[in-house]
Amino acid sequence: MKKALALMLAGALSAGLLAGCGSTGAASGNTATGENSSAAAGSGDLTMSWWGGDSRHEAYQNALAAFTEKTGMTVSTHYGAWSGWEDQTSAALYSGNAEDVMQVNWNWLSQYSGDGSKFVDLNEYADIIDLSQFPESTLEACTVAGKLQAIPVSMTGRIFYWNMNTFKEAGLENYPTTLDELYAAGEAFKTNLGDEYYPLAMGEYDRMILMTFYLESTYGKPWVEDNTLQYTVEEIATGIDFIQSLEDNHVIPSIQTMNAAGIDANNSIDKSEQWINGMYAGIFEWDSAPVKYRDALADASGFIVGDEIKFGDKANGGFSKVSMGLAITETCQNKEAAAELINFLLNGEGAAILGSECGIPNSAAGLAAASAVDGAVEALVEEANSKVMAFVDFQLDPVYESTDLKANPGGVYADVFGGYSYGEYTDSTKAAQDLYDGVSDALAELGA
Amino acid sequence: MTMKLETRHKIAKFFQYFVLIVVGFVMIYPLLWMVGATFKSNAEIFTGIGFIPKNPTLEGYAAAVTQNYGGDINIWRAFLNTYSYVLPKVIFTVISSVIAAYGFSRFKFKGRDILFSIMISTLFLPQVVLNVPQYLMYNTFGWINSPFYLPLWVPTLFATETYFVYQLVQFMRSIPHDLDEAASIDGCGPVKILYKIICPMLSPSLVACGLFQFMWSCNDFMGPLLYVTTPTKYPMSIFVKLSMDGDAGFNWNRILALSLISIIPQLVVFFCAQDAFIDGIAAGSVKG
Repeated sequence: MKKALALMLAGALSAGLLAGCGSTGAASGNTATGENSSAAAGSGDLTMSWWGGDSRHEAYQNALAAFTEKTGMTVSTHYGAWSGWEDQTSAALYSGNAEDVMQVNWNWLSQYSGDGSKFVDLNEYADIIDLSQFPESTLEACTVAGKLQAIPVSMTGRIFYWNMNTFKEAGLENYPTTLDELYAAGEAFKTNLGDEYYPLAMGEYDRMILMTFYLESTYGKPWVEDNTLQYTVEEIATGIDFIQSLEDNHVIPSIQTMNAAGIDANNSIDKSEQWINGMYAGIFEWDSAPVKYRDALADASGFIVGDEIKFGDKANGGFSKVSMGLAITETCQNKEAAAELINFLLNGEGAAILGSECGIPNSAAGLAAASAVDGAVEALVEEANSKVMAFVDFQLDPVYESTDLKANPGGVYADVFGGYSYGEYTDSTKAAQDLYDGVSDALAELGA
Repeated sequence: MTMKLETRHKIAKFFQYFVLIVVGFVMIYPLLWMVGATFKSNAEIFTGIGFIPKNPTLEGYAAAVTQNYGGDINIWRAFLNTYSYVLPKVIFTVISSVIAAYGFSRFKFKGRDILFSIMISTLFLPQVVLNVPQYLMYNTFGWINSPFYLPLWVPTLFATETYFVYQLVQFMRSIPHDLDEAASIDGCGPVKILYKIICPMLSPSLVACGLFQFMWSCNDFMGPLLYVTTPTKYPMSIFVKLSMDGDAGFNWNRILALSLISIIPQLVVFFCAQDAFIDGIAAGSVKG
């Protein structure tokens, strides 16, 4: 009897708490604009937030110091590591505590501000921010709910990177540029170096992206267009077979092998012994990512950017995306100053200080300013970026990276590609069906 | 064929200790390895399982101690920040939990049992469920990014750590009521009974509460992440994470050195309070 009572109470209590959360949410939402932005404002005239690593923090701080010197306006900062950052940011956005200028992930625009309520329409500040420096297509990609919600900082796409030292050990002088050469490399690694050596290593999400490259190239159509998945289950199944063929030909290790080597959602490939010592000799990564992979290597002398591989004959295949943007939140008190800051960072002197810290600048003026400074633009990143941008012919849809799909563990991509690699599916059509359903659900959710 | 009893005992003892030492070593090896790895270069960390560095270097420690984000935050500042809210948190938790537990265990008042069940039921609420409503509440108070870390320690004034209240109630039940009665005959009021009679007898479990709260608070990541948005105010848990997500390469020796430095105060506190702490746990297990 007592137990039942306690259980009921616990239930009632948690229900009450949840209900309470809803109503307080609405109440504080109304008052948020006025009183709370002062709490976030701190001591400076403007506030700004970003995530990143050590060197990006330093670059931003130097750029902001230059901004203060130029305009006399101080900027208080909030920065941190990526882990947990989105949790913190989403709470701040919903409660009106967000900083005035925010470094945003591209999919946040549709995820948190799909109705346009969180970020300012930057078209209104076109007299302050020189929009003509940006390609039409990237501005288009940042336009959500009819508002230009963020200014693209950089564009990014995926490309292959190779550790040529291991390739030479395997008796290969050149890195693979075709699918056949990729298969041949797998064979050469296996016979000349042993079972633990692979020319390429890919996690679940990497596999999904490479499969998209393959499908787009083979069928010549984008993955998603007009919020609809463009591929049938049968077509997707050929893509999954393709990924499996890489595993079968010893091009990539199975997910099980990688997990056993300590590589999983929390431990990326660059932190593994296999990568550091060159047993995995290639990755398929963002063009902005190579530095951390290169610096992790025990012997980095052979690390180079490869070429994109054209798998089919209908198109080049592959996509680029806006890697991040700068946005002004609706709670910002001094939007003109915030716009001035964005223009300074992307088109002005700030771009020269930031260099390629946030990727290769998307702004023409910004890239020119950054290139003029010796060493501000990482040569490796620039080479990768120019190769990607010259090759890919599709744009990414915003749902592609939504949490439901991308999360690992638990996301659709991880379930399908991890499950298939582990042999949990009897055939690729079933896996393709799961992927098809998962992506369609995610698309429907956004459309609703 | 017959062995002396003493010899047999000795052999048995030998095997007992042999097994204990081997298992103990296996258990403690990762820790030893971590200490050793802090003196290795990044490349060496992955070359072998041995924990003795071949070419000992202090560069990990040097990097950890000098790491600085534009003058905003470094390791010492992070320490200072951490303890500036952890200490009040520990003290207030202990005081408020004792008072709440005293009420539940010594006074009969209307609705006590129901209130107690409500309190116990909150024991099972995971912190994740509370994050959003709490965030909204502190937001209305204007406490987000408060320079005094208000959202992190003020709640502990109200005995919100149910686990400790529950634990202390169990301990108090084991203290005979006769002592209270004797004290009240000698002229003690309820407050005086609490701090003259009950608290001294509870001291091992109070230390246990304090220690647990100390460790949990030092390790808390989500709380500071949500409520501290000024880099100069970052505590240790955020600082360690800040240096872990470096885009430009992963300096394992720096991170390991940083982690090791960051747990030293916790280890010191733990060893100082060890005797009382173990008493506290043991007392609970027998009498509770």
